Amino acid sequence: MADSYLGVRLDILRRSQNPDGGWSFYSGKQSWLEPTFYGALVLHGDPAADRAWALLKSWQAPDGSWPPTQGAAISGWGTALVLILAHIRGDLGEPYRKGVEFLLQTAGTESELWRRALAGVHIIDPGRNLSLKGWPWKDGTSSWVEPTAHALIALKKASAHLADDRLRERIHSGEALLLDVRCKDGGWNYGSPWTLGEDQRSYPETTALALLGLQGRAEAVSSVDLAKNWLRDTPSSLARAWITIALRLHGVAVPDDMRPVAGLGSPDLMVLALEALGATEGNYGFLKTEVSG
Amino acid sequence: MKIRRRDFFPLAGAGLLAGYAGWEGVRSRRNAIAGPSPVVVLKASSYSDDLAQRMLQGVRECGLDVRDQKVLLKPNLVEFDPSTCINTDVAVVAAAYEVFKSLGAAEVIIGEGPGHRRDTYSLVEMARYRDISRFDDLFVDLNRDDVSPVMGFADRKEMYFPNTALRADLVVSLAKMKTHHWAGATLSMKNFFGLVPGSVYGWPKNELHQIGIPQSIIALNRIFRRSFAIVDGIVGMEGNGPIQGTPKPVGVLVMGRDLPAVDATCCRIMGIDPAKVEYLRMAAEGILGNVEESRIEQRGENVREVRTNFSLIESFHGLRLA
Repeated sequence: MADSYLGVRLDILRRSQNPDGGWSFYSGKQSWLEPTFYGALVLHGDPAADRAWALLKSWQAPDGSWPPTQGAAISGWGTALVLILAHIRGDLGEPYRKGVEFLLQTAGTESELWRRALAGVHIIDPGRNLSLKGWPWKDGTSSWVEPTAHALIALKKASAHLADDRLRERIHSGEALLLDVRCKDGGWNYGSPWTLGEDQRSYPETTALALLGLQGRAEAVSSVDLAKNWLRDTPSSLARAWITIALRLHGVAVPDDMRPVAGLGSPDLMVLALEALGATEGNYGFLKTEVSG
Repeated sequence: MKIRRRDFFPLAGAGLLAGYAGWEGVRSRRNAIAGPSPVVVLKASSYSDDLAQRMLQGVRECGLDVRDQKVLLKPNLVEFDPSTCINTDVAVVAAAYEVFKSLGAAEVIIGEGPGHRRDTYSLVEMARYRDISRFDDLFVDLNRDDVSPVMGFADRKEMYFPNTALRADLVVSLAKMKTHHWAGATLSMKNFFGLVPGSVYGWPKNELHQIGIPQSIIALNRIFRRSFAIVDGIVGMEGNGPIQGTPKPVGVLVMGRDLPAVDATCCRIMGIDPAKVEYLRMAAEGILGNVEESRIEQRGENVREVRTNFSLIESFHGLRLA
């Protein structure tokens, strides 16, 4: 196991955990929510994951959200990731419910009344359905693909525990938003399929994330072949890792990436964690969702 | 033409900017910038020219002393598309590293936080930055660096920035000479968008668009005042920049310590009237730097002789320099 594709990565992650229980993106730096989430996910059941969870729990803000790193006064998208982890760990108490409430109360700014009104009288062409609500990176900004995908996974998991019609409404709207911003080539970029009348190309990493958010939606299946092509062609370690996870969760058999750890890939520990998560024996199943809007 | 979703905020903000600029103008009359700003324009016909020698000349002409300083080189690395020229060329980055090391800088770091793509290392690989010797030891991914808050940023109470940028004695903006479909042009000042950490604000850094692109450019340049600009105009980008435009050979490097003056000079080279570029108007009125031609001391090549009109998208035809 220690010498396997997965084992090598888990070993590096264990050794690179910060003393506070978190992970940084790059060794020796401060702990961030995102790599800590993925570290805890891949090492679930290991004492290292328990330390990571203790750290993340301590970061929750009074409004129920989580900041991207300790002390940052930003109510961020990472809240969805912590809620996914809380669900996996069965830690569904008051902090969890407050976090879910934060997600339910958060939406991209394009859903503001005045923009909808201008679009409704055709003064602006928003290029998308403004009645759909996704999630922003940071409170007070627009909806984007990646935070919306993570929030969908978190709320779909939450809907197994919490009886709240708002969950179903937001899941339905969030999924519809992702489908609404799909690029003409069949994939997704960060969430802007065209600008100034020109189609924008999609990216492999954001296509993978959209596919994660749209698990169970038949409309997403047409993008799976594109993701398969990208798995073969993309030079990005991060994109390959996310695509692998997305394809596995869409039932596609994917062999482990046999590229060495110490090659020309990224030194980013989060990429390493994502590779471990997507390994054949990895914990990618934790991101599986059964409920759709 | 209808106004599209992502275009609406900048356009809606244009009316508000007039009021802002007026207020800034009152301030500028009390705080005029002393003396003209030197800006050096040097010819470089290709990336295989001796760029280090030209940069060394430019830095010396500007009287910049970097001895014992910690220098951050900030290239413009946004996305990679082999069919065009989005990013600062690797030859420019490599030459700048060599120059600032040779001038006695205590440390020279290369740092960037790309605004669209998550995998910074994949981008630096595709842009061939890893061809630079020991690149991985020199590079800091500014999207994922340790961060600290800075109080006051445009209308925001605070903004987080990478510690590597905050601790640098000098930030060198290694920008690309490009048109920009929202700002008119993206040059040394807007290049500082890459100093905003994606790990805090996301991909794209939508917070800056919500604040307003010109306002964000000004706010960033107020924070990172200890700066120097080297604009890669060897091959620029015209049309629908900063991503989907087409290559435009100009054959120049433009350098200076006054970033608004450098950007104004680049605009004149590109056939754009800097007085009509909103962020430069705000920079001039807000005492950030000199934009008027009479207040810029042009050195090296004559701007009129190297002027090469960049094609502009329809909404920016009004920016054309007479």
